Amino acid sequence: MITAINRDIMPENWYNVVPDLPEPLAPPRDSKQDVSSINLLNKILPREVLKQEFTFRRYEKIPDEVMEQYEQIGRPTPLIRAKNLEKYLDYHGKIFYKYEGATATGSHKINTAIPQAYYAMKEGVKGVTTETGAGQWGSATALAASLYGLPAQIFMVRISFEQKPLRKTVMNLYNGNVVASPSTLTEYGRKMLKEHPDTPGTLGIGISEAVEYALDHDYRYMVASVMNVALTHQSVIGQETKKQLELIGEHADVLIGCVGGGSNFGGFTFPFIPDGDETEIIATTADEVPKFSKGDYKYDLVDSAGVLPQMRMYSLGADFVPPTIYAGGLRYHGASPSLSLLINKGRIKSDEVTESQVKEALRIFANTQGIIAAPESGHAIATAINYVKAHKNENKTIVVNVSGHGMLDLSIFGEKK
Amino acid sequence: MKNLIPYFTLGYPDNTRLCRFLDIIPVEKINYIEFGFPSIDPRYDGPVIRKTHSVGNINFSGEVYSKYFDYFSRNHVKMYSLSYYSDIKDRFDEFIGYLQMNKFSGIIIPDLIIDYFNDSRKVIEKLNDMGFEYIPFFSPATPDSIIKSIASITNSWIYYGLQPSTGIEIPYELDYTTERINTLLPGREITYGFGIKTDDDIKNLMKNGGSGVAIGTYLVKMIDAGDEKGFIDYIEKMRGVLDE
Ligand SMILES: Cc1ncc(COP(=O)(O)O)c(C=O)c1O
Repeated sequence: MITAINRDIMPENWYNVVPDLPEPLAPPRDSKQDVSSINLLNKILPREVLKQEFTFRRYEKIPDEVMEQYEQIGRPTPLIRAKNLEKYLDYHGKIFYKYEGATATGSHKINTAIPQAYYAMKEGVKGVTTETGAGQWGSATALAASLYGLPAQIFMVRISFEQKPLRKTVMNLYNGNVVASPSTLTEYGRKMLKEHPDTPGTLGIGISEAVEYALDHDYRYMVASVMNVALTHQSVIGQETKKQLELIGEHADVLIGCVGGGSNFGGFTFPFIPDGDETEIIATTADEVPKFSKGDYKYDLVDSAGVLPQMRMYSLGADFVPPTIYAGGLRYHGASPSLSLLINKGRIKSDEVTESQVKEALRIFANTQGIIAAPESGHAIATAINYVKAHKNENKTIVVNVSGHGMLDLSIFGEKK
Repeated sequence: MKNLIPYFTLGYPDNTRLCRFLDIIPVEKINYIEFGFPSIDPRYDGPVIRKTHSVGNINFSGEVYSKYFDYFSRNHVKMYSLSYYSDIKDRFDEFIGYLQMNKFSGIIIPDLIIDYFNDSRKVIEKLNDMGFEYIPFFSPATPDSIIKSIASITNSWIYYGLQPSTGIEIPYELDYTTERINTLLPGREITYGFGIKTDDDIKNLMKNGGSGVAIGTYLVKMIDAGDEKGFIDYIEKMRGVLDE
């Protein structure tokens, strides 16, 4: 582990990539003809979050109160050289991993949950609400809301709700209210239950329910991913990584991360974008949700109900119901517009890995580094292992973002005799 | 004189009612005017202006307006067209020829660098060759390098959209936004648009070095109500604020 004074590693500002993109980011578009879904955001998001989303400040000062909480939940997170993995793979280059699983809630999600809840609290909001897939975002939201004394209503994708009861316990411990989505709490949820009584749920449905709940209860919606502001907050990951590498005189040749909506990936890699094109950047998704290879780059709905504005992104369609895969956090149909643009322009490459590759990668990582990574993060590890195998003699320095731990996702391994 | 740019979608609410407003514009109070040629897909406009396009599409008749184009040009009001590239790309030369024949000075194309980025340089250079002003349209989402490169191949004023689309009211940081564009393009005329309505909006923009404002959505309400007097008062008042 790299040790140094925390504040020397933690950045003072969040970094927003938009001013440094190679082409203009397409603006959000109204989803309905005669009303403005963009204007409606005024009632959905905390004002400061909205302001950050649309001001596109390259460097946004992190409030002192947020810095303090970042330290409380374990920032900076460690950057660790995976020497055992290098040895196992017989690799003569270097592999580092940034370990976001070391935060209090076990993933990177807390990095944006804290500022969003903080702004909501400062603005005197009544409560916050959101969706969650695997439960990592719901846990982060529940904790952040609880730290600021706000009630949190969480809509958990039904299949995860059923498969991961311990996640619900975690959210309840952090004072969050959790229901399976689709739920009977919202009109959209009731409609979905009526039309598709057996639906496993999707993140798109969960988002729709949370947004409706926010509008009806004068709550504010917490943005997990996809919207630029979440990626900006997550930039603490990449900025810390840069600093940690710098302190030991290392330079990343390759960055690898996994993509659900793009928040851990964007947060991890975007701070490297202004440095030029030398660093190879690879985004990994599940081959069951092949948004970059089979999705279209187009305006599409963010939530299935179409209350939020549309965004131009790689998408499999908002009504895409993915298989009930082992990595709930990667089931989302689209990906953040800024990330989509960088992929479309070829600056960022993409990769897809299969369930068996991911499980194997998680096993290898557990047996070499001792870390049981989240299934989502397992995708990044699998891509890294494949990369090493394909570039054996290049001796590069590879840095992987391990976005979370998988201690509550152990069921994916089933029983072993 | 700071730029006060009223915006009208041609054909909205119908030709006769729009002409009544064009008849009464105090031409000495404005120096530029922006005409929206109805688009079949005004994708970067908010709901109010979108509606004017869908109505304008039904009503628009070039003949009705040619005498107004002549009138404004004789009164030294520079005319700019707001046109979506998606609508004009297949008859580009013909359309620019039409605008030139009607003494327009230039064109604003909101979707050019967003949806047709790869064609944009060619289009701008072509307009330059035709002696027709291309007005760069930028927003806070436009990357710095693009702002610089597009500005460097044009000489005109810049149209800066403060909101993600017309008529929207999303909070943003005004001082940061104006400072960023001023730093990127020192000395260049920056005219702001999108969501501007009150004198305070205008005062703050001028204080931060703005060279003018465009007003669209806010005028639609007056046009809808046929409030001719309100419209004249508003234009005069805004001119006063700009000249302060
Ligand atoms: C551990 C972990 N990693 C990655 C993701 C994917 O989300 P994003 O792409 O926004 O980082 C999730 C989402 O739930 C997650 O829980």
